[in-house]
Amino acid sequence: MSAHTSSVRPLAHLKHALRQCRLECDQRRRYAVPATDALYPSLQTKYPLPAAGFRPSQAIKQNRFEPGLKRIRVFQPPRSTIKLCPDPIQKVTQDQLAVLDPTGARTRLFAASNPDNVKPGDVLLVRLKNGEPFAGACINIRQRNSPIDTAVLLRNQLTRVGVEMWVKVYSPNVEGIEIVQRKERRARRAKLYYMRKPKHDMGNLDGVVRQYLRQKVGGQMSSRSTKGREANAQKKKKDKKKSDQRGKK
Amino acid sequence: MPPKPTQRLFSLPPRFLCPSIPRTLIRTFRTFAPIVPGKQSRFNYGHNLPLLGASKQAAFLRKENNLPLRTGALTIKKGMTGVYDPETGKRTPCTVLQLDRCQVISHKRRDKHGYWAVQVGSGTKEARNVTRPERGHFAAHEVPLKRHLAEFRVKNEEGLPAVGSVITADLFQEGQFVDVRAVTRGMGFAGGMKRWGWGGQPASHGTSLTHRAMGSAGGSQGSGSRVHPGKHMAGRMGGEMHTVQNLKVMKVDAANGIVVVHGAVPGPKYSIVKVQDALKKPWPEADALAGLSVGGGGAGLAAAAAAEA
Repeated sequence: MSAHTSSVRPLAHLKHALRQCRLECDQRRRYAVPATDALYPSLQTKYPLPAAGFRPSQAIKQNRFEPGLKRIRVFQPPRSTIKLCPDPIQKVTQDQLAVLDPTGARTRLFAASNPDNVKPGDVLLVRLKNGEPFAGACINIRQRNSPIDTAVLLRNQLTRVGVEMWVKVYSPNVEGIEIVQRKERRARRAKLYYMRKPKHDMGNLDGVVRQYLRQKVGGQMSSRSTKGREANAQKKKKDKKKSDQRGKK
Repeated sequence: MPPKPTQRLFSLPPRFLCPSIPRTLIRTFRTFAPIVPGKQSRFNYGHNLPLLGASKQAAFLRKENNLPLRTGALTIKKGMTGVYDPETGKRTPCTVLQLDRCQVISHKRRDKHGYWAVQVGSGTKEARNVTRPERGHFAAHEVPLKRHLAEFRVKNEEGLPAVGSVITADLFQEGQFVDVRAVTRGMGFAGGMKRWGWGGQPASHGTSLTHRAMGSAGGSQGSGSRVHPGKHMAGRMGGEMHTVQNLKVMKVDAANGIVVVHGAVPGPKYSIVKVQDALKKPWPEADALAGLSVGGGGAGLAAAAAAEA
């Protein structure tokens, strides 16, 4: 567009060129006048410039050397207990575990490093010092900051009413914790609260526990694969076949 | 304005008549005028007058029965955990406190400062980070530099341990009760509902935009048409010294400086906590030197070296 106009009117840029020339002249004249210090007092330094070798940290009073001043004696501090014992909470916990779990079996049962540890969905039997043993599906393992407060939430059904109980793993009231039945496949959640819904509820686990106790007296606990859902599924298939046959009859 | 001459000045004869009176005695300020015995006051003057309740001495006597016999310790809050009683099986929530280089720095004396107290320091600091006046204070008592300083009031001179003695965790016995002081968590500028526990206004029934507000600040003419002093309002909450009384000591580990007390202690983790014998419980039956390795800075060092070896 502009190229077009310039070619049409060759003198169109003359006015612009003249104006720029005038501005440049003005500027040159302005710079020619020397700026005196008196004109700009704010540019003057109030204090003399620091000497060569000056370090800014020296400007802080404490960092200055104290030439000519009386030396103040500094006494050596006593031994630090914090360095000796940086984590006292762990120390208190270890002291307690030595009493509450001397063999370390309970710790191993819930240790992440142990592949055979308790996982959510397993059925646990807890024998209590005072009171009847309680069995239930573990739907939550709570391991807070301090391992001493590890607890499991067990769910069972008693007289067709859902019952849940928190059990503190290291409580002296707990005599023993046994794994009755493993979950056949690893649960994909840490908290199995969905098991409270009727669709997923495991129901009364007394039968499972009774069978486990019978097997325990008899011999070794059967492996994970033959337990649980698959075993039940086979049973269900058989039942279904039976019912089908009945239907045919 | 020049100081006003005392009345007695006019009672004196002219100076040239009594050159024996020194000039300093005549030119005195009223406050520093020498007290002439038998001439203090026309009132409240006698032998068997009771002690004035507003006097400093009376205040000290009133307070005397409410002061612990022993010093306390400066500790650091390390966090909370639980402790099981192996017999009853009961779990008790508790707070873990740790002593670090806790040492007696100086004394406050009744004759000099007006009260008996032990100045206790904890932690340590590098000398280059401490100002000369502060370093001078520590050097005067021949004790190492400390990061934290606090005073523990005691009843009398017998409660003052030797300067420089190291305070260890066995100052407290398992089962005894302690009072714990610390600065609470700062909540910042908090509204009245949070700060004073007000109920607030209804959520509905015509309430508009005033659900958590203060409401009225006081009555009208009947109560003076003004806001009374101390009216609870919104403002800065927390960040102030708070005392929790009668916490039971659950465990003591002198070697690691650990004191475990029942329940919660004010303030966040890693803050400074003052621990002293509980006022409202009988004093613990302990030695005068329990938990105190007596000796100056050098002796304390020797004790520490012996413990290390």
